[in-house]
Amino acid sequence: MMLKALLTSATVAVTLIATGAQAQEELKIGVLVTLSGAGATWGNAMKGAAEMAAEDINKEGGLEVAGKKYKIRLISYDDQFKSSEAITAMNRLISEDKVKIIMGPMGSAPAVALAPITSQAKVITMTMAFTPKAMNAETPYAFRPVLPTGIFAKPQADWVVKKLGVTKIAGLFPNDETGQAIFKDNEVAYEAVGAKFVAKEVFERERTDFTPLLIRIMATDAEAIELDGNSPQTAGLIVRQARELGWTKPIIRTGGDATADILSVAGKEFAEGVYVHQPLNLEIPETKALVDRWKATYKTEINGFTPFFYVNMHMLFEGMKQAGTVEDTDKIMEATLALKDFPSVLGPVNWTGQELWGRNQQLIAPFYVGQIRNGQSETIATCDIVTCK
Amino acid sequence: MTGTLIAQSLVNGVVLGMTYVLVAIGFTLIFGIMRMVNFAHGEFYMLGAFVTFFAFAHYQIPFIVSLGIAAVLIGALGMLIERVIFRPFRGNELNGMIAALGLAIIIQNVALIAWGADPRPVPSVVTGILKLGPLIFPWSRLYVIAAAAVIVALFYIVITYTSLGRAMRAVAQDTEIALVQGIRAERIYPFAFGLSVALAALAGGLMGPVFGVSPAVGLAPMLKAFIVVIIGGLGSVSGALLGGLLLGIVESFASTFLGATVSDFLLLGLVMAILIFRPWGLMGVKEA
Amino acid sequence: MSQTQTPDMPAASHAPAPTEQRAIWLRFAVVACLVATFPFITSSQYYLHVAILVLINSTFAMSLSVIARTGQLSLCHAGFASVGGYISALGAMHLGIPPVFGVVIGGVVAGLVALPLGWIILKLRGVYFVLVTFTFGQMLTLLAIDAQSITEGANGIVGVPPIRLFGYAFTDRISYFYLAGAFAALVFLFSWRLLNAPAGRNFTCVEENLQLAESTGIDTRKTQVVAFVVGSAIAGMGGAMMTHYIRYISPDSFTFWTSVAFITMMVVGGRWALAGPFIGALIITPLPEILRATGGLQHIIYGAILILVLQFLPDGVASIGQRLRAFRKGGRP
Repeated sequence: MMLKALLTSATVAVTLIATGAQAQEELKIGVLVTLSGAGATWGNAMKGAAEMAAEDINKEGGLEVAGKKYKIRLISYDDQFKSSEAITAMNRLISEDKVKIIMGPMGSAPAVALAPITSQAKVITMTMAFTPKAMNAETPYAFRPVLPTGIFAKPQADWVVKKLGVTKIAGLFPNDETGQAIFKDNEVAYEAVGAKFVAKEVFERERTDFTPLLIRIMATDAEAIELDGNSPQTAGLIVRQARELGWTKPIIRTGGDATADILSVAGKEFAEGVYVHQPLNLEIPETKALVDRWKATYKTEINGFTPFFYVNMHMLFEGMKQAGTVEDTDKIMEATLALKDFPSVLGPVNWTGQELWGRNQQLIAPFYVGQIRNGQSETIATCDIVTCK
Repeated sequence: MTGTLIAQSLVNGVVLGMTYVLVAIGFTLIFGIMRMVNFAHGEFYMLGAFVTFFAFAHYQIPFIVSLGIAAVLIGALGMLIERVIFRPFRGNELNGMIAALGLAIIIQNVALIAWGADPRPVPSVVTGILKLGPLIFPWSRLYVIAAAAVIVALFYIVITYTSLGRAMRAVAQDTEIALVQGIRAERIYPFAFGLSVALAALAGGLMGPVFGVSPAVGLAPMLKAFIVVIIGGLGSVSGALLGGLLLGIVESFASTFLGATVSDFLLLGLVMAILIFRPWGLMGVKEA
Repeated sequence: MSQTQTPDMPAASHAPAPTEQRAIWLRFAVVACLVATFPFITSSQYYLHVAILVLINSTFAMSLSVIARTGQLSLCHAGFASVGGYISALGAMHLGIPPVFGVVIGGVVAGLVALPLGWIILKLRGVYFVLVTFTFGQMLTLLAIDAQSITEGANGIVGVPPIRLFGYAFTDRISYFYLAGAFAALVFLFSWRLLNAPAGRNFTCVEENLQLAESTGIDTRKTQVVAFVVGSAIAGMGGAMMTHYIRYISPDSFTFWTSVAFITMMVVGGRWALAGPFIGALIITPLPEILRATGGLQHIIYGAILILVLQFLPDGVASIGQRLRAFRKGGRP
């Protein structure tokens, strides 16, 4: 505890020196995501989104709310993809750092475990969790900037069946919260359009050898392989091993951006022709600019989710301006949710979700079906909640 | 159709088995000689995969040479770590084991900070498939079998015909008798540790093109090495060979015919059964 | 390197004289009073939360050291915590068992699972025991993930009810702090009495010299089984306490790495001193908090501390006092 106190005072001292004499207000925003282990890919995507949004504001001298200018400062904690760690870190953000807005929690388990705490403390969160328990009638302060698989499974399955003419699907799903939930979503979506899973293989997350499972699948009359719900790396491994075994029929990745990893793990040759979920349309110049900015700043490929969190962050900033407060989260929520056709790097975006989850706190933007061609995903269809064209 | 499945499962099982053998031989060697359970063994596999990757993909060094570089570098690192970290824990199995857990945490997170969590693309060493009637074998996997067999053979030669190898075997059998023969166990330990982690590094380098490279790749092979040494007998090199192949084949068949989840349970159950009925393993020696 | 041969090392290697017993009671009372004042010093929800974790973690480390006293290292301690947590949570949610009984039942079930396992595997020595407990822990995690119809799979169980006592629900941090404190105190007193009882003294004999213990007529296997079952049962209760506090449990709540954390606490605190596990929990639990801002570095520092303590303080932080005393006396530390 003493060390903590020392560290805190040291941080305060440094901050005081850094901000200097100009008595500028500071707005603290928490980042609670996974920064170590396999989940770090997404954690960094969310953290980077917060950093870029904060940079935008700070570059202009701060966020002007009710006559005051606020510099944005981010406080980032790693939850190690564990709910217990996430709870501890969240307590710290809320009661020590006095943060009102948090980028995170990232995973489904932490999001579910934290929902009662953040709702009670009236803290605004932005989650990546796909489970319906993460954003529903009981979570008045939870935003979800990215669409859960349940949503895009339907239009995309419809497109797959109509365009590719396949009805017998084989699926490989990890035996974890994501895999278990996404299989159900996919099953419903495919059955609704007259297709069905003729093979379903479930495996533990650590598995890297998929040959036996693929051999099983190839022994059935499956016409396509569905890779939704797998981590991007795993999806890449499966693509590679399936192609090595001579699988030439379609491979479909319905949900979640995995194109970069499929390309890097499977390699350009093996990845050729894979159908992917494509969250971004690089033909929109603003989207392209953000993608390039990421690459220049972080020296890696942008994660498809990043722009959504970035946009949600900016919508919250706009909400604060309009509400005239950075403290009263009820007013901020109200003002932010009132935004319509908000001009963003993704094009105009809106809120949805009332019918499905009882709350209009789901960010909605068009999404795309792409096909990997020559090392790149090319847009071949544009989708909304109902259909892909 | 079933015949095809059996043949494919067999080849795949041997591929898996050979990597398990490479990882497990080193693991069991350290235990046999130093009485130490190296919980960080999988991390050396991961480091080996990274070194091979950088040498092969970035510096365009031929794959075989890259593997050699990985083995030498990681082997040297292993000798250093043995000297600095593990020496004080001689004769204290429990503390040595806990220290190895600490080391595993350190190595994994250093790798994470240095190289990031994202997997790296490793270019294929060989491509294409071998078609034998209805059977399909990717060359990339057959290559692993061949390379692993060569490495195991080399290891066998070292351990059987060199004076260092003979000394190692003597120490493994009985430290005191070895001492009587003028072999100082102290001198042998760093070499044994270095050799052992170099084998893990080779396995990592070899599997990089098949399974990809990221800081998290070490965990799974280490779990498998545990199982292999339990099956084969802790400290027994021939046990590691037999256990590794057996595990690979059983796993491959169980996954193909029963599914992945059942297979995982089956393997853990097999391990428990062996521990209960034959705790010294198939090839191990019963301890007093 | 093993300190067990050093004559004036702490410990339970000899029966404490009555004066020594009184000294322990006194120290226990002082520590208990100090702990009890904590909520008066700070009202920060965050510090209280960390303090609760320290208290519950100390019971895990304590029970692990009960097993370690017989010379065995369990790598599925977190697995038993998870058994207790799931049993208590599910019992409360589906069968309406009050959590206060659920905690005890969770402990009993964990002990019952440990009994046959211990009986079978405790004839294995040292390393083999470690490998089996490791494998068994993995199986428990797999089971929690795969038994979806019961455990709700990887999603975990949300909305676990709080512990209630005489109509009072322990939902706020201050009340739970005292509840966890009472639990930790009970575990401490129980472990202390157990280790001091004739049966408990056998523990240490078994640790020190298996053959000697056997030749003096101690049933080593029985002693080890008792320690394993009792230690695992306490872990089960601790797991239930944690679950009713966090109000959520999933297969990720108690994994192999959680077991490693418990081992770290025990080792850093000191295995041979009674207060060791508590000291270990007090140091290791807040450590990630202090280091959290350093990102990935925190794990590296964590690992380094573990190795350094093992190298330079093999009997843990609790042995510093002894070492100083020995040093002052002019003896070799």
